[in-house]
Amino acid sequence: MPQVKIIAKNFMDMVASLTAIKLDKLYNNVFICEAILRSLPPLAKKYVLQLLFIDDPVPCTRIEEWVLPDGLSKHRVAIDRLIQLRIFTETVDRREGTCFSLNPTFQNNLQKHIISGGVLPREPMNSSNGIKLPSLQELETYALQQWECFLLQLINSGQGEKLTGISSSMMKVFQRGLLSQRDRDGPRLTESGFQFLLMDTNAQLWYIIREYISNAEERDVDPADLISFLLELSFHVTGEAYNLNTLTDVQRTTLKDLADLGLVKLQQGRKDSWFIPTKLATNLSVSLADSSVRKEGYVMMETNFRMYAYSTSKLQCEILRLFARIEYQLPNLIACAVTKESLYNAFDNGITSDQIITFLQQNSHPRCADRVPSIPENVTDQIRLWESDLKRIEMTQAHFYDEFPSKDVFEGACNFARQWGGLLWEDSKRMRLVVKSEVHNQMREYLHTQGN
Amino acid sequence: MATVASKLYSDDVSLLVLLLDTNPLFWSNRSTTFSQFLSHVLAFLNAVLGLNQLNRVVVIATGYCSCDYIYDSSLTLSGNSESGRTGMPALFGSLLEKLEDFIDKDEELIKEQEHDERIASSLLSGSLSMALCYIQRIFRSGHLHPQPRILCLQGSPDGPEQYVAVMNSIFSAQRLMVPIDSCYIGTQNSAFLQQASYITGGVHHAPKQLDGLFQFLTTIFATDLHTRSFVQLPKPVGVDFRASSVFGQSKLDGASTVSDKKRKAPDS
Repeated sequence: MPQVKIIAKNFMDMVASLTAIKLDKLYNNVFICEAILRSLPPLAKKYVLQLLFIDDPVPCTRIEEWVLPDGLSKHRVAIDRLIQLRIFTETVDRREGTCFSLNPTFQNNLQKHIISGGVLPREPMNSSNGIKLPSLQELETYALQQWECFLLQLINSGQGEKLTGISSSMMKVFQRGLLSQRDRDGPRLTESGFQFLLMDTNAQLWYIIREYISNAEERDVDPADLISFLLELSFHVTGEAYNLNTLTDVQRTTLKDLADLGLVKLQQGRKDSWFIPTKLATNLSVSLADSSVRKEGYVMMETNFRMYAYSTSKLQCEILRLFARIEYQLPNLIACAVTKESLYNAFDNGITSDQIITFLQQNSHPRCADRVPSIPENVTDQIRLWESDLKRIEMTQAHFYDEFPSKDVFEGACNFARQWGGLLWEDSKRMRLVVKSEVHNQMREYLHTQGN
Repeated sequence: MATVASKLYSDDVSLLVLLLDTNPLFWSNRSTTFSQFLSHVLAFLNAVLGLNQLNRVVVIATGYCSCDYIYDSSLTLSGNSESGRTGMPALFGSLLEKLEDFIDKDEELIKEQEHDERIASSLLSGSLSMALCYIQRIFRSGHLHPQPRILCLQGSPDGPEQYVAVMNSIFSAQRLMVPIDSCYIGTQNSAFLQQASYITGGVHHAPKQLDGLFQFLTTIFATDLHTRSFVQLPKPVGVDFRASSVFGQSKLDGASTVSDKKRKAPDS
């Protein structure tokens, strides 16, 4: 899913696109340094660790020696990333050539973090205050519920009985790009909307957060503050209560929005109010890096094109409905079938066969995931074949030329079209020509000059 | 490393089982004290935990005649709430406490035993077996487990009476496809460790200067299994001596910078 991957990774690109001053300000916070370290590709992490206690700039050639020849492309990706995020600063030494050294603020903070650990700006609240904390299980159910409700409202499936507290203007911001407004029918999911639904939860979360942050400037909130608060949030402990009075006003408003997404749970006592981060929040920094998805799947695909999904979630049912026909729903099972009609429906909506197959593979039940391949080959082959069915005909806009006065003019026209790369078909016997539309104007001028 | 069946690693989440040599007979007459050594090791563990949120670390202490689990990073995350307990690299308070208890118990056991004939080796076979038991449990816990590897930080010489047990552990690790890295900080060579790393596809290195131990640890042994396929690491002895030239001169300068900073850190 190349396009979708770019969307998910864009959070780090957004961080990298901050101005130099803002980035350096971000690096004053130890936890941001840690979160950004975790988001780097593995080779870049290794480089940072190795240069962590070295003060002098290290020549680029020396760093290249650390990598085997077939790792050079990864080396270049890592170095580019580090320069983009301003972790590596480039200097040119006359003898050694290009040298790299670590950003001093980043380096100092990381050194301190490794030697003595870090202390969060806020401590968890004492449980003796009569606070009744929800158990981890309850918290996870709450988070999942909130997130699904939000997603259902986002795609406007019309089944959102419980509306989230997000204002409609905020919703419109999120829906931008995912839904298109058609006057007659009402909003429909766009191609990116479908791809969004097939992404895994963390990627979806980062997409929403990215939209939220890009919108922040319009609300006069500094994106750098938001980014630092979010990254800091991922270092809190799931299930612990933190007092709201340790936050700034901006952070408090942000928290209210995050509660609607299911990232935190807000609770109020007699005197204080506090927030409890859920697993969605603390897992934020895990998904920053480009690593593989690690979660329990629920879909079993059989060779007779029947699919069984062990799930009770409405959202997952909607997602499966995108490309399969739901046969019936049992209390813990959704039975569906992948048919030609359901797939054609999906392809019409812009979903590709690769996306469907990747979705099935990533979400396959652990019992199926053990098998190699986890999805039967006849199913994957058939999905691809059905997709190529729709692509048998390739259409190009063209113009048809007929009734040439003489053979020479016809030959001249053919050569001209060939030179311009626009010749699609010719018939020398009857002197007919089909030329791409882009070349049509030049063709007309040429024929006029030929005629005179 | 032709003897090892290779495994494809998709990400860099790792479980590091560290076998720490606490043999008092070895540490009693070294120039570097055990606490200096420990500060390097703890910083290294913090670095490993900091690389990825899902990374885990288990420390097993190898004593003279006993070994025990000292620290498990996943255990400190769950459990009841205590002050100072967070999901980030902490100051390893519980680790240090348990280590002290273990060393005291080990010394008591030494006094009870007759040990004139035995070489002052540490119980490597015992801790290797404990590590492999833990890893086997991880393998059986389901699909979503980190990739395990073992790191032996050893200084004591090899004890020939443990030969069979150690070789058994090495072959078990080979079958489980768990690499055993070894970092030898003693004076003589350790044939056990070299063999362990060679057979299981791990990395063996014997740093000359203990002052720069942190730098050696993070450069070589912090590399996760996924990255090892495209990074230069010390090759087995006798095949390639590139190990010393990979770091080059500037690294040794860097190592002395490390030592200055590391010596200052515990006091400040």
